[in-house]
Amino acid sequence: MPPKGWRKGQTAGPRQTLVLDNGAYTIKAGLVTTGPSSKPTYDDCHISPNCIARSTRDKRTYISSDLDECRDFGELAFRRPVEKGFIVNWESEKAIWEHEFMNEGKGGLRCDPKETNLLLTEKPNCPKELQKNCDEIVFEQFEFASYYRSVGATFNAWHPSSLLSLPQECLLIIDTSYSDTTILPIYFGQLLQTAVRRLTVGGKLLTNYLKELSSLRHYNMMEETYLLNEIKEAVSFVAPSSEQFAKDLERTWKGRVGDKRTLDPSIVVDYVLPDYEQSIHGYARPHDPEKYRMRRGLQPQQGPREDLLPLGNERFAVPELLFSPTDIGLQEAGIPEAVMQSLSVLPETLRVGLLSNIVVVGGNSLIEGFMERLESELRVLVPAEYAMSLRRGEDPIKHTWLGAARFASQPELLKQVLVSKAEYDENGSGWLGRKFAGEI
Amino acid sequence: MPLVEVIPNNATSTVAPRWTYVVDTGYDPSKVAFNPKDRKRVPARPGGPRGDTELSARQQTAIARRIAELSRDNDPKQVIAIPWKGAAAKTQNTRRILQYQRQIKHWLDDEEALLQQAPPPRAPAATGRAAALRRRSTLASIPPTPAEATTAEATPAPTAYAPQPNPELDSILSVEKSRPAPLNPAELEALLSAPPLLYGESHATLGAGGPPQRRFCDNCGYWGKIKCLKCGARICGLECKDAHEATRCLKWA
Ligand SMILES: [Zn+2]
Ligand SMILES: [Zn+2]
Repeated sequence: MPPKGWRKGQTAGPRQTLVLDNGAYTIKAGLVTTGPSSKPTYDDCHISPNCIARSTRDKRTYISSDLDECRDFGELAFRRPVEKGFIVNWESEKAIWEHEFMNEGKGGLRCDPKETNLLLTEKPNCPKELQKNCDEIVFEQFEFASYYRSVGATFNAWHPSSLLSLPQECLLIIDTSYSDTTILPIYFGQLLQTAVRRLTVGGKLLTNYLKELSSLRHYNMMEETYLLNEIKEAVSFVAPSSEQFAKDLERTWKGRVGDKRTLDPSIVVDYVLPDYEQSIHGYARPHDPEKYRMRRGLQPQQGPREDLLPLGNERFAVPELLFSPTDIGLQEAGIPEAVMQSLSVLPETLRVGLLSNIVVVGGNSLIEGFMERLESELRVLVPAEYAMSLRRGEDPIKHTWLGAARFASQPELLKQVLVSKAEYDENGSGWLGRKFAGEI
Repeated sequence: MPLVEVIPNNATSTVAPRWTYVVDTGYDPSKVAFNPKDRKRVPARPGGPRGDTELSARQQTAIARRIAELSRDNDPKQVIAIPWKGAAAKTQNTRRILQYQRQIKHWLDDEEALLQQAPPPRAPAATGRAAALRRRSTLASIPPTPAEATTAEATPAPTAYAPQPNPELDSILSVEKSRPAPLNPAELEALLSAPPLLYGESHATLGAGGPPQRRFCDNCGYWGKIKCLKCGARICGLECKDAHEATRCLKWA
């Protein structure tokens, strides 16, 4: 048996790496063994909420995976360390990491940072000061043995799903996640920085928008972020085209005085809200005007009491923002046009390569109809003579994590990028920032 | 007298809410493809190129405020204390960082301000990556320059197929025409060594050639065919006008 700390003198560092895709909504994390026989899979990735939640009803504070125990999501307040995709509040992020990954914590993963490498993903265009804070916390507070930080999407070039040799030569990632949506052209695993494009619209904005609309039109739901997120995931769909969007808008309109319309129950649904006593989760069913009138006291109530939230145009007008941000006055292009803007600053050969390998990751890609709309709108914009291949990652939430895990499992790749704590102590965070930026 | 103005809804009106993605609006999506060479990248503001001139400054402020609200990650009024007794701060740096209660907008404002004062020297990433990567490339590429070939290690690039210009063939074979120009080593080098854009520069801008902005009823979300004269918001009819006046009317003023 080797003496304790025997690895310290070796340049190779520990064989265990914590691969951490630190999203604003969820943390995707797993411990990966570095070695020729290591083949991490989706099962090695653990997902936990990246938040601290406080309930005024049960007077409990939930840290990250503690939320599994929560049975009443009413008026649940959230504190999120990550804002716009970047780690901003280290007081809460530290608490969550300690809780989820460290030996004294309660979460699913256990590691001693001094015996572990850290591979941490970040969003593109992170302010340098925030990167510096992050690097200092990683080495000075957690004291990881060694560390690499890079834009998460680039690791998708090492994702094993493709038949292409790895890293994939040309890869265009569309990452539509909680914080925002980013377009990332990647060449042999390297981000083409000048062509990165971003839309403010992400899952968070969609949930907040649905919350605003439901509160205006039905109940005050401004404190019900958890519920509205759940409703959004249950009922949203992306209209196949803007023509169909217009048709659906007619089908969900109540009409006006003198021109009353009946709502189309094949598109309008009633969401039965949970009462957090009998039920923790709600569900949607086709709209029933009778039940709706009962709820509003216009007709006597029959059967058990139910609180209903009718959802009509909200179902498709909310996710429509991914394709038409101007609908709420946001002066940004939708995803298909943002892709074209990204490609427009690249040479034609790269455009052709990137268009033939587009992969969509992030939770919004799971919204019904999203991929079909994206494909058809992109096909119109992309010149006809270019071949285009667009697909959603097999598991769009864990796709980036698995790419990063496969990268971390290969000793020769990891060795090139890891910086040890000793190097950091010698050179400082300014040097580290330049090193990770590829300047030295 | 009702405080409404009926917006004409014909095909030529730029504010017609019924635009569709077909050419009858004069907007041809294929024409915008690859066109915008938006070198100068600025953060998006309400009332941009496709936004309307009809919006007052106050309306624009209201829209900006609403968007800020919709894209907010944390409620600054909400204080959630951390019950977890974790490790104490280990260095001066980490003590300071752990105490920050700033929000992302403060960091981004700092970055913007720094840029206003003096654009930071944008150090390009280390050069010499392109040659190494290009050697593995399957894309057509211009052979490396002699200077590159000497700096590049051992084996030269396996010369990928580079089409030779032949005007006669070009006119016959349309396939040949569509073959893109080979990758230029210098251009690739520049792309790979370019520093990241600042956050504010990374937003997808609104090109001038896009479809006109669609306008919706502020109350029910149907087309906003009528304009509220008090605040400028759109509504679909008199019923929604009443609801609008009872709820959000002055919010937009
Ligand atoms: Zn209306
Ligand atoms: Zn008004």
